Amino acid sequence: MITGHFKTDYSADEGIWSNWPKRWGLVAALVGLAIFPFVASNYALLLAGQIGIFIVAVVGLNVLIGYTGLMSLGHGAFFAVGAYTTVAIHHEWPLTFPLITLVISTVVAAAFGVLFGLPSLRVKGLYLAVATLSANFIILFLIEQEWLAEWTGGISGTETPNAVFFGVELVSQQAKYFFIMPVMVLMLLFAQNLFRTRFGRALIAIRDKDYSAEILGIALFSYKLKSFAISAAYCGAAGSLWAYFFPAILPEDFGLNMSITLVVCLVAGGMGRTLGPIFGTILILLVPELLKIVAASITGGDATAQTWVSPTRDILFGLMIIGFLIFEPMGLVNIWDRFWRFMSRWPFAK
Amino acid sequence: MGQFIQYIINGVISGSILALIALGIVAVFKATKVVNFAHGHLILFGAYFYFTFSVVLADAPFMPAWVSSWEPAWLIAYAGDAPMFSPRAAIASWVSDLPRILLGLVGALAANAVLALIIERLIMRPLLGQSAFAMILSTVGLIWVLEGSAGLIWTAEAEQVPALGPNFPIRFQLFDQNLFLFSGSLVNLLVALLLFASLMLVLRYTRSGVAIRATAEDQSTAYAMGINVPRVFSTAWLVASTTGAVAGAILASRNGLSPAIGLFGLSVLAVVLMGGLDSFAGVLIASMLVGILSSMAQWKLGGGVAEIVPYVAVLVVILIRPHGFMGQEEIERI
Amino acid sequence: MALNRRTLLKTGAALTAASMAPGIVRAEGAHWRVAASLPMTGPFATAGQLVAPAFSEFEQQVNDNGGIGGKPIRVEVADSGYIPRNALANFQRAQAAGDLHFYYGDSTGFMELVGPTLTGDNAVMMGSTSFASALSDPANRPYQFMAGPTYEDQFEILLRDIANKGGKTVAFVYSDTEFGRDPIEHGRQVAAELGIDVVLEEVTRAEGADIENHVTKLAQANPEYTILQGYVTGVWPQLIGGARAFGLTTQFMGTFWGMEKIIADRVTEQAGPFLDGYQGVMPYRYFYDQDEAPFYQELGAFKRSVNPGFSGYVTAWELEGRLCLELWKLCMERVIEADKEVTPDNLMAELGSIRNWDSGGFFGAPVDVVDNKIGQGRVYRYDAETRLYNPVSDWIQV
Repeated sequence: MITGHFKTDYSADEGIWSNWPKRWGLVAALVGLAIFPFVASNYALLLAGQIGIFIVAVVGLNVLIGYTGLMSLGHGAFFAVGAYTTVAIHHEWPLTFPLITLVISTVVAAAFGVLFGLPSLRVKGLYLAVATLSANFIILFLIEQEWLAEWTGGISGTETPNAVFFGVELVSQQAKYFFIMPVMVLMLLFAQNLFRTRFGRALIAIRDKDYSAEILGIALFSYKLKSFAISAAYCGAAGSLWAYFFPAILPEDFGLNMSITLVVCLVAGGMGRTLGPIFGTILILLVPELLKIVAASITGGDATAQTWVSPTRDILFGLMIIGFLIFEPMGLVNIWDRFWRFMSRWPFAK
Repeated sequence: MGQFIQYIINGVISGSILALIALGIVAVFKATKVVNFAHGHLILFGAYFYFTFSVVLADAPFMPAWVSSWEPAWLIAYAGDAPMFSPRAAIASWVSDLPRILLGLVGALAANAVLALIIERLIMRPLLGQSAFAMILSTVGLIWVLEGSAGLIWTAEAEQVPALGPNFPIRFQLFDQNLFLFSGSLVNLLVALLLFASLMLVLRYTRSGVAIRATAEDQSTAYAMGINVPRVFSTAWLVASTTGAVAGAILASRNGLSPAIGLFGLSVLAVVLMGGLDSFAGVLIASMLVGILSSMAQWKLGGGVAEIVPYVAVLVVILIRPHGFMGQEEIERI
Repeated sequence: MALNRRTLLKTGAALTAASMAPGIVRAEGAHWRVAASLPMTGPFATAGQLVAPAFSEFEQQVNDNGGIGGKPIRVEVADSGYIPRNALANFQRAQAAGDLHFYYGDSTGFMELVGPTLTGDNAVMMGSTSFASALSDPANRPYQFMAGPTYEDQFEILLRDIANKGGKTVAFVYSDTEFGRDPIEHGRQVAAELGIDVVLEEVTRAEGADIENHVTKLAQANPEYTILQGYVTGVWPQLIGGARAFGLTTQFMGTFWGMEKIIADRVTEQAGPFLDGYQGVMPYRYFYDQDEAPFYQELGAFKRSVNPGFSGYVTAWELEGRLCLELWKLCMERVIEADKEVTPDNLMAELGSIRNWDSGGFFGAPVDVVDNKIGQGRVYRYDAETRLYNPVSDWIQV
């Protein structure tokens, strides 16, 4: 039985980890995260690293879409800005401390976020979505230009530096994992706490009805821009980690495909919650890989079978998105909530 | 000056194809308030259907010989031994291809219409009443479904399909400059503009056109006035899929059949927003503008720049006019 | 293929193996393992599907002949959809499943992505579909090689051929991809050295190019020769068709991926014989050129024995994949013969020491492997009547 929100003071009421399943769940998750790299293969670590990085980005996107109600299909661009800033910094000053690079990349991405956010003053909804999508294409176009190629590597991409902490170079995926995960956990905590502040509540008010929020005294434009900046900063951090994680980056990594994947992760997980992005990212990034492994073991690595395996995977993936929208529009986190609601009453009621 | 006009012509031709594609997006949006991100993939299916009917089926062993190549005596006499690419040879080969072109077009239109009805019924209708965001995302999901299905049905690309019209170069003089265009492109231009104009007329003067416009104005009032709103939705999707099939056939004959046709639809989305989501006239203007601008960019700045022209243009336009050239401003009440 | 208990168990085992097997625990397997990523779907699906038979047939042929050094081989092919990051995941998944002795990558992007990770325990000998110049670099890419000349070399071969024939002007038309842009810089230099004017450099989309504008620009520049780069199945036929219809007399030329007979035949069949006279550089002999090519004859006989409906022609694309495999096999045999341990370093050392190798068909003359590439090629000309590419130059070494 996990009922009994028995609180004796206000600070307990404000707490995030208000009952024992949450507290122990957190501890278990952290322990699991710490043990995982010692039992996992390189391939599993590749996936884990990718998921960790994506979670950071999707949490950022959640600030914008889930909490502020602004649509964006261009967050791949901030990812790119973060990643290329990291590469450029190491190009100029090869031995920069990784955390400093991470912070600078984050700040640069946030600046781009403000720039992208400018149209949000005049347009909303779909128009904003396409405006950000356009901006994404333009950023990638700039990255591919030859006059920037010294720092970006142009269209053929560029090799990325490894993070060096006090003389220890993070080469193996295991080592990189220990760089990514703490950053991810910290950024999750920050996002979780953001919405317990006046600022976070203002964003939620904007989402629920922007004009009403304005009447309540919330400066729409500045809050929208700040929301853009924060979500871009998250994606910038994710980009920076991405650059450290992968041995090379290509402009095409950060195109529309990435932007849409980020949104899909968010929708599948559930918007406006911190757990949502975690669930959604794990599901969306893992399912195609699992299908690949299952298909490979059924067909035995036969090449011609591959011609129907990947289309089938695409179809299932698309149906999954549509299925979520039709049957579970609140995302995975809603299923999770239902489960715990059930558990908290069990065995007395359903 | 002559060169300038040459690129304007090229731009207008590609603009007309953009307009034909944009037409489908606008029709669906007007009726259902859904922006169809998967329209490009609907076009992809149209192109593949056109290929299936005009090439695979027409050459199938059970088909009578005249379908795959119609060669009556007078046609052979007319063609004579005209050199390749001469108007006469082009017309002769077009006439002999005519049965398969017609078969392809009819088949593509019918098959795409069925596909659109299935999509509308199975995916879009259950989402009625959901947020616009959910509707848009479901069309994004649809992209994967359609792309995967196309991959399952038609495994290989790089096929050639017959053009809608005879293809020979037309040369003429203007301002002492030699200008040229392909007759096939001219046919495409005419087909696109005719379809566009006739649809606008249908919307203005027929009952179902009025029903679509009424639904666009206010869904619940339309319901109350006895308009069969779900039928309006189906009609809109039908319009989108059939014009999309023609667009697909044109694109496939111009550039060859490839899955890249699907992605082309996304750049058209930028064009649609530039014109205004619910305005046919605005979208036509935007299409022409983007076509011409891209062509100019290709001329003066090279291919890389030409590709992002639609995106830059839409950003500029949206910042100045948030609802595009002629889009209707949404009035919000609190 | 039916989903019964056994496949389920196997699936479960594969899942566990893929996720859990730590990289350190590596048992010496009963097979030599070869794995590959191919674009079985996506923009270059045609190419991937045509290359795929090379792998299954190589496996069968080698195992029928007793394997390599008495040990059979196993070949696994995975689909990448031509997305480098997918190929990287495929590669690491293959590595996680046990010792890997050869990998075949499917794009320049993947080779660049995986290159820096090939160190220490993670090193694997690696061939690919790519002829990108950056991959012919033993110092920085010690484990990657290519079974032919780089794109830069191919450009150079074409430009030299043009210079030999007295050409003075040339246009470069290339796709806006890394593959399209690869040799352009080098092409400019070589053209300048040879005294050829580059009158136009036109960038197009990789697919769905705006043919009218490109033809207009070509007509203005009016080059004697036009080199196309960065296309596989699309754009180049439409571009040539447009230019021919317009009446341009420029001589079109292509590089390896734009030189496939099957594509040219298909275009000729469906759209008319306008590709007649199209030229390009090809590092290999076409499969129909079987005189004094025992390997080609043997391969043809094998294909006929497993598939009675075999058309008698093997695509150059498939040959490229097969050649990579053959080179690996050659190195394996030499390493085993010398009684050395089979490690990527030993294999690459053997590869680098290949001199005067008679390939039995692929190349016109015995070849050397220098800088992890084979710098030889020849200019062919397409004949729409006979549907054959016929040689118009000697084998050119670069």
